[in-house]
Amino acid sequence: MSGVLGANSVLVQAMLVNLLLALSLQIPLRSGVFSFAGLGSYGLGAYTAAIVVLRFDHPALLALAEGVLLSGLVGVLLARLLRRLNGLYLGMASIAYGGILAVVVANGGALTGGAEGLYGVVADLGLTEITVIVLLVVVAVALSERGRTGRAVAAVREDPELAAAMGVDVARVRFVVLVAGCMVGGLAGGINAIMLTNVAPTDFGFHLAVLGLTMIIVGGARTWLGALVGAAIFTWLPIALQALGDWRTVVYGCLVAAVAVWAPHGLIGLAGQAVRAVRRSASRRKPPGPGAGRAPTGAAEVDLLAGEGVGASVGRPM
Amino acid sequence: MAHDLLNLLVLWSVYLLFALGMSVVWGSIGVLNFAHGATFMFSAFTGHLISTRLDLGVVPTVLLCLLVGAGLAVVAHFLIVEPVLRATPNVAAAELRVLIASIGVAAVLLAIAQTATRSAPFGFAPVAVPLIEVAGVRISLIQLLIIALGLGVSLGVAVLMRTSRFGIALRGIGLDPETASLMGVDRTRLAAAVMGVAGALAGLAGALLTYHLGSIVPETGDLMVIKAFAAIVLGGLGNVYGVILGTFVLAVAETAVLTYTPGTWVDAVSFGLILLVLLVRPHGLLGRAEVRRT
Repeated sequence: MSGVLGANSVLVQAMLVNLLLALSLQIPLRSGVFSFAGLGSYGLGAYTAAIVVLRFDHPALLALAEGVLLSGLVGVLLARLLRRLNGLYLGMASIAYGGILAVVVANGGALTGGAEGLYGVVADLGLTEITVIVLLVVVAVALSERGRTGRAVAAVREDPELAAAMGVDVARVRFVVLVAGCMVGGLAGGINAIMLTNVAPTDFGFHLAVLGLTMIIVGGARTWLGALVGAAIFTWLPIALQALGDWRTVVYGCLVAAVAVWAPHGLIGLAGQAVRAVRRSASRRKPPGPGAGRAPTGAAEVDLLAGEGVGASVGRPM
Repeated sequence: MAHDLLNLLVLWSVYLLFALGMSVVWGSIGVLNFAHGATFMFSAFTGHLISTRLDLGVVPTVLLCLLVGAGLAVVAHFLIVEPVLRATPNVAAAELRVLIASIGVAAVLLAIAQTATRSAPFGFAPVAVPLIEVAGVRISLIQLLIIALGLGVSLGVAVLMRTSRFGIALRGIGLDPETASLMGVDRTRLAAAVMGVAGALAGLAGALLTYHLGSIVPETGDLMVIKAFAAIVLGGLGNVYGVILGTFVLAVAETAVLTYTPGTWVDAVSFGLILLVLLVRPHGLLGRAEVRRT
């Protein structure tokens, strides 16, 4: 077991960072907030962690916390500044945040190492710690998808005016998800910087936006499980596609476009559809009786709560 | 000084050609096509492949890039834009899906060019460019061509959008697609046509910028999208004069930054402009408050 884990531990770590990166985009997107601010935060968290480790010799966990805190603070500022923006405008403005940050750190002199970036960021951070941190984040995200919070988030996404009429504080939900996305992005950047022991201005450019989007769009943008599926696929797919060499980025692009056009809810959405289709045909074959036409175990109510019925139907025997 | 002014005009013309297509598509069929930058880059890349092999001159190369741009945009339209617009009735959701799908297309074109060139700069077959001297300033014919084409084509598009049936129909579907359809506007054909025109403009801009700089890198296209977005929101969406003004301000700001600071800050100009404009005047300098169509 430990041997298998040891051989794959680099990959597992990479997958965990990818999962956090995907979540940083997905958390706001789930409420209809199209924010790429998590990518800028990824850079901010990475540089903050690298600088405090190099300059002040802070331990890894403290460095991560500082990166998350700073990302959160900047996230609060951004959310206040951008609160009037929506849709594409918000998307591009939040891309601009990462773009400006990349130029600033490339011109940051000795503090940020300029265009070369920073090297030798050595701090003690094991797979166990990373796993625990990521697990905590995932549990928090999963909890926010259920019950009252989950319904509020879905309502803000589907129909903000209706949500406001039902007593959901739309502005507050949008504020919180943007800041939360920034903090998770900062965490991902910090872990990555310490893991790879280096950070450079080119680390959080357009390719990171493509990777992050690819993971949540292919996996499914509505639940944390989609982010996990996406992160798993795009951590191991590069190895499976090694024969393709550099051409594998072409495959990623095709996947993003194809899934965005044909399967907007991602693989998780497709799985949910398949499950529902199987159930429907199963209940049609049974002779009509009391309660027929309804899926067993009250899946109908659960479907209503979860919007797509995806989050709830997973974990049931297929 | 005169040299800076010349560079400013060239930069403005290229930005204008590029942003104009993006703005007209966005303002009429509501599609923010992120692959516009990849179309720009990939047209120049195709031009590079063919012109260096066949040793083409300026005019055939520019025409070739223009055609490739139009072709790429129309293919992208039928592959991603049209299916999404058909399948998604909700305008906001459709916009996001098209944007994401077009980021995918952009990633494909970028990856192909990066792999083929190993991210090295590429240019066209060298041509001998005659220089003329006007009031003590040396101007190459290429620069003159860029400025003439940039300003001429843009003014032409502006006038056409105001007066021709095509332009009026386009503005009609931008304002209210349903009413426009009832008035006999064929939205599907018009959407493909406007994407094709925008792609041609992107290809033209790509060819001209490559001639001007000598070579470009594959990543140039994505940066152009950000710049054009900055110029469009600065001027105000759906307004041709707004694009003309927005690209002018961007070109002036970038030239100033290039002249007075080390060149490494120039990329921050467009990002900074985006943030500033969206914060201070979200509908742009010439735009009206009503942007969202119901």
